[in-house]
Amino acid sequence: MKRKCLCLLSAIAVSVSMTSCIGRPDSGRDTLTIMGKESDLQKNYMQNIFNHYEKTTGNNLDIISIEDADFEIEASKRFEDGSAPDILLHFHNADLNRFDVPGNFCYLNDESWVDDLTDSARAYCQDSDGNLLGLPFWENSVSGCYYNKTLLDSLGLKPATTQTEFDSLCSALAATNYTPIFWPGTCSWMVQFGLDPLFADDPNLLEMLNKNEITYSEIPKVSDMTQWISDAASKGWLGSNYTESGWDDISPALASGEAVMTFIWDTWFYTDFKPDKYSVDDFALMPVFLNTVENGTYEGGNLNMMMVNKNSENKEKALDFLSFCATPENYNAAFDGISTVNCFKGQNTNIQSKMVTDAAASIADNERVSTAASRIIGYSGEDVASALNTLLKKKTDNAGCVKLFDDYRIAEAKKQGADGF
Amino acid sequence: MMKKWFEKLLLPLSLCIVSIAVIVISIIYFNFISRQIYEDSTNHLQEIYGQVNRSFGVFIENNWKLLESWDRHFNQPDDVDEASAVNFMTEEQANWGFSEFFLISPDRTFMTMDGTVYDMALEGAWDNLTQNREPVVAGETLPDGQAVTMFAIPVSPEEYMGFKFDAIAVSYNNEDMINSLNVDAFGGKANCFVVHDEGNVLLSTQSGGNVFSNYLVYLTAASDLSLKDMEKIRKDWQNGTSGVLQCKIGDVSHCISYQPLGYQNYILLSVVPQNVISSGFLSVQKITMNVLIIIFLMIGAAVIATIVLRNHRQSRKNRMELQYRERMFDVLSNSVDDIFIMLDSENQHVDYISPNVEKLIGVPVEDVRENIRALEKCTVDDNVVIPREELAQIPLNGSRYWECEYMHQNTNEHRWYRLTIYHMSIQGVRKYIAVMSDRTVERQMNKNLQDALTAAKSANEAKSNFLSNMSHDIRTPMNAIVGFSVLLEKDAANADKVREYTRKIMASSHHLLSLINDVLDMSKIESGKTSLNADCFSLPEMLKELHIILAPQAKAKGQSFKIHLHGALPEEMIGDRLRLNQILINLLSNAIKYTPEGGEIEFIVHKLPHAAPQYVKLRFTVRDNGIGMSEEFQRSIFLPFSREINSVTNKIQGTGLGMAITKNLVDLMGGIIQVESNVGEGSTFTVELSFALPEREEAETWFRQKVTRILVADDEEYICKNIQDIMRDSGVDVLYVTNGADAVRLAAEAHEHGEGFHVILLDWKMPGMDGVETARQIRSKVGHDVPVLVLTSYDWSEIEEEAREAGISAFMPKPFFASTFWHVIKPLFSENDNKAQPEQTAVTASENALKGHMFLVAEDNELNAEILTEMLHIDGARFELAVNGKDAVDMFNNSEPGYYDLILMDVQMPIMNGYEATKQIRASGHPDAATIPIVAMTANTFAEDVRNALDSGMNGHLAKPIDMNKVRDMVAKLINSTDDKKGGKGE
Repeated sequence: MKRKCLCLLSAIAVSVSMTSCIGRPDSGRDTLTIMGKESDLQKNYMQNIFNHYEKTTGNNLDIISIEDADFEIEASKRFEDGSAPDILLHFHNADLNRFDVPGNFCYLNDESWVDDLTDSARAYCQDSDGNLLGLPFWENSVSGCYYNKTLLDSLGLKPATTQTEFDSLCSALAATNYTPIFWPGTCSWMVQFGLDPLFADDPNLLEMLNKNEITYSEIPKVSDMTQWISDAASKGWLGSNYTESGWDDISPALASGEAVMTFIWDTWFYTDFKPDKYSVDDFALMPVFLNTVENGTYEGGNLNMMMVNKNSENKEKALDFLSFCATPENYNAAFDGISTVNCFKGQNTNIQSKMVTDAAASIADNERVSTAASRIIGYSGEDVASALNTLLKKKTDNAGCVKLFDDYRIAEAKKQGADGF
Repeated sequence: MMKKWFEKLLLPLSLCIVSIAVIVISIIYFNFISRQIYEDSTNHLQEIYGQVNRSFGVFIENNWKLLESWDRHFNQPDDVDEASAVNFMTEEQANWGFSEFFLISPDRTFMTMDGTVYDMALEGAWDNLTQNREPVVAGETLPDGQAVTMFAIPVSPEEYMGFKFDAIAVSYNNEDMINSLNVDAFGGKANCFVVHDEGNVLLSTQSGGNVFSNYLVYLTAASDLSLKDMEKIRKDWQNGTSGVLQCKIGDVSHCISYQPLGYQNYILLSVVPQNVISSGFLSVQKITMNVLIIIFLMIGAAVIATIVLRNHRQSRKNRMELQYRERMFDVLSNSVDDIFIMLDSENQHVDYISPNVEKLIGVPVEDVRENIRALEKCTVDDNVVIPREELAQIPLNGSRYWECEYMHQNTNEHRWYRLTIYHMSIQGVRKYIAVMSDRTVERQMNKNLQDALTAAKSANEAKSNFLSNMSHDIRTPMNAIVGFSVLLEKDAANADKVREYTRKIMASSHHLLSLINDVLDMSKIESGKTSLNADCFSLPEMLKELHIILAPQAKAKGQSFKIHLHGALPEEMIGDRLRLNQILINLLSNAIKYTPEGGEIEFIVHKLPHAAPQYVKLRFTVRDNGIGMSEEFQRSIFLPFSREINSVTNKIQGTGLGMAITKNLVDLMGGIIQVESNVGEGSTFTVELSFALPEREEAETWFRQKVTRILVADDEEYICKNIQDIMRDSGVDVLYVTNGADAVRLAAEAHEHGEGFHVILLDWKMPGMDGVETARQIRSKVGHDVPVLVLTSYDWSEIEEEAREAGISAFMPKPFFASTFWHVIKPLFSENDNKAQPEQTAVTASENALKGHMFLVAEDNELNAEILTEMLHIDGARFELAVNGKDAVDMFNNSEPGYYDLILMDVQMPIMNGYEATKQIRASGHPDAATIPIVAMTANTFAEDVRNALDSGMNGHLAKPIDMNKVRDMVAKLINSTDDKKGGKGE
């Protein structure tokens, strides 16, 4: 019902927009078609920029809203049957492989706004060859190890900067009877933070994996990660209910001070965290340590990109639209008051988390593009969580757990009909 | 009991005490060693970190000195230019290893030798430098993020490259500093910190980096130290006091040692896990523990082995004892007639049953094991089947008993038991123990005692009766004898009265004699001295004698006396004729005695089948229709001295010994005697006896071939049929008629048809035409060629003459016997055709047997001698009297040969008894020694007396008182026989 209402509002908005364009006497007005997921198109900042563009330029935007579930198939079909939009709104993930990216989309490396992109945003939008595939115009976030700084200070402890320090910290915290890490075992994202550095830092490894030329089992770091998680659970670092805890349990555990750290992203604190003994201000950010990289890692946000159809007659006008969006005054207008990490260096009207800004130096050094969840073919956070729980429940050994990672991944890849599987 | 209990527990108790002692000593030892080693370890810890402290202090001192030397270098401005200063510092850096050299301005900005200026917010320790002008050591993070430890000293204000400074400093990377704190001891598991007295961590040797910002805060949160402990530590640190303490951080025990560095309240802190410090102790402890464990295990093993061995021995001993007991109990129970059963009181499951149950009552052990109720099928009386309710009513430790009669399942033997059931608890389990005590012998004994008592009473009563009767029975004839003797003396002149009195005296004497004989017979039988004298005898002769003796008695009472013979009775048998005669005479005389006048007496002889051909079994039946006997008397009729007392019997003389003697004789002969009787209807006695048969001699048969058809005429048809049966075996065809007329007619018809009878037998006394008349008429019809015999049970002497005139060829005594028949007719068919002399003639001849013979009479008793000699005199005999045996021997030896014809020898004589005298006579050289007949005269009338007499060489035996008829018969027999041997002598 909510989704239907949103569709209706979207349709009304688009209609109004189009009506206003149609109503303009200037016959030279252009009309650009933008296709995206229904829910994505409803974001305030997206509406803001659309409206602002149309108002500013007098051009029209034909917003093609497709239900989320049908989006990938419908969109890819349009690119096949010649009814592709001028601009496609799409995440840089494995589903993008459905489209012939080089054949359908413009590389945007030479656009004027490229240097204004933050490193993480630009990294996210690049392909393995460094080609910028789209303009990141989305709410951004930083995933990392968010910890209760107040509590840590009260315990005479410091945040870790290395895996070894993190282990020491966990050990020291465990001695204080606090749960060092809140581990929501039923949630899907925990493991991907550890996998990101492996594949983000080594694109060839990712490519081999996606071509089924290598498996997780053949990558020692994957096994190191699962072993560390298993050991951490055994030492009590993950609390007591780590295989059953879920999304709803994170906030109470952190807000009460029962748990000191968890692996999550900054915007969560503004959307789902419910302050109790501790508030957002008590928390700070350090890298995620999952024994895959010594200095830890942050995961950059998953960003929707505006990708330009290179075969479109309105390609230039579409590129102009992107430039319009990438203009500081426009994106600041669109993201005014939105809680997000900067995608643009000139972004200054959004609300940026102090936790992120305080850790900016560390983020700059250790942030990786969200790779595992979005770029590994057949990857499923749920499958990985399920496989990991078999290990934590001691129903299998470490090697068995990693093999399950592979089995699930390969099965999904085959289901998708990926090449090489 | 207590001693046994104590001995049993002594070993385990001792082992327990030893074990406890070892444990206590071990604990004390452990505590001592633990404390000792801990103290050593902490001292060692302190010592090690004291060395670290000193090294670190030296390092600091060296830096101070270094900085001071540089200060002196910078205080020589003439010699210092920028290039040389840089070179100098570069060389110094290479020598000392510091990371950077700083010039510090009064406003706490830093500048390196290359002119790089750092603006760091120096706080805390730096106040000592800027305000107090004292050397400082401080940890800082450089703008590039590098963590360093800085050493600074105040110097005189100078200027370098336009940078005014009043202090100089060197920095060392913390990692380099940390290396100076690391120690090799404790396996790298010790952490060392340099902290400020407020707890902030300056340096940490923690692997991978320091995560502690303030160790005091951390200890407060993570350790089990109390606030008081924490306060003490804090004060120690502030006061620069050293200390060692133990605490738990998390779950791990740690040893924390601290000592002041001596500079700016820095503390050198070492944190070592307790187990690392105590590793030495743990090693010793482990060894000790292992040794103790081994000792304990050995002690435990010894204890267990001892206990097990002991239990095993005890168990084996118990088991053996149990087996012995069970075996002994089995053997015991098999040896006794008692049955033992153990039952579970809950389910009555049989736990034990003695194995003799099958032997005693025929029930298999397995059946009883399966179900105790299997015993019930042996019970005779249903009342002894014990219901469970009754069992349940037996109180614990109580018992009940029942008397039960059981019948053996296989042999039907009855046994009596007293079943006693005990209810008891055995090791907490309730059991019933049933003991079936065999009371059969006891019961039998009681019964025997009861019977014996009854018998004794009966015998006593019988003897009382006997004495009473004897008193009467003896006195009666004695009274007659005495009375008539008196009368005889008185009426001696009256010959008729003398004969009358003499006859009555003789009758009373005979009665008295028979009475005495019976008593003596019974006495002999009861004393077990009676024996049988088996010899071959003629059954017909015996029956003939019976008939002769008893028929007149029956006739005298007007009774019919019939003898019936059934089956092919043997002529001769081997047995004790005397005793058989005695048995039958007793029965028949009783029948006559207790049958009223006109009654019927039947004597029936049956031949019964016998398995062995050399034996014959005869049943003698004596039946009368007399007064009969009550059932009660029938039960005691064979007991001695028993007589039925009633109005009839009281009038009849009797000793009450006759039937007892008869019964004992029958038993002695291996036979049976039975009686059936009803009061007023008569009695039937049946005696069954077996006799051996003598080997048959080949009889002369030439004449038998001439006799194939016989005519028999007797009004008693059973006699005719009896003759028919008897002669059938001889191949003789017997026709019979029951009257004389038919006999005449049949004989005539047969004669006319040329099929005349070879022998005709006629009963003497037939209704209508008697035998004599019938014979006369037959002779008239058939002539004198056919032998005609008269059958009679009577003395035929009175009709002998008439009969012979009527043509009777011979007389046949009843009952008919084939042997008698052939004996009688043999002379009639002889070649000489001599007429057989009737026996009556022989009998007549014996009456004069004594006449003219010379007797030597040996008799010591004058009275007896007088009677005998008088009687011999009456019979015309001569005699000489010897008064003892020796006298007799002498007289014989002194006599002429043939002087004495016979010696009558008393047996019991003084000087020499009869037997010895006979032996000496036979052994003498007298010519007549071997041949002279010697006859014993003795009151000893038993068979062995007869045998003894014969054995001593005597030829015959006469019982006292002397019966002259027997004397005559004996003499006739012996002297005639002797005469034959001598070639004829006497008449």
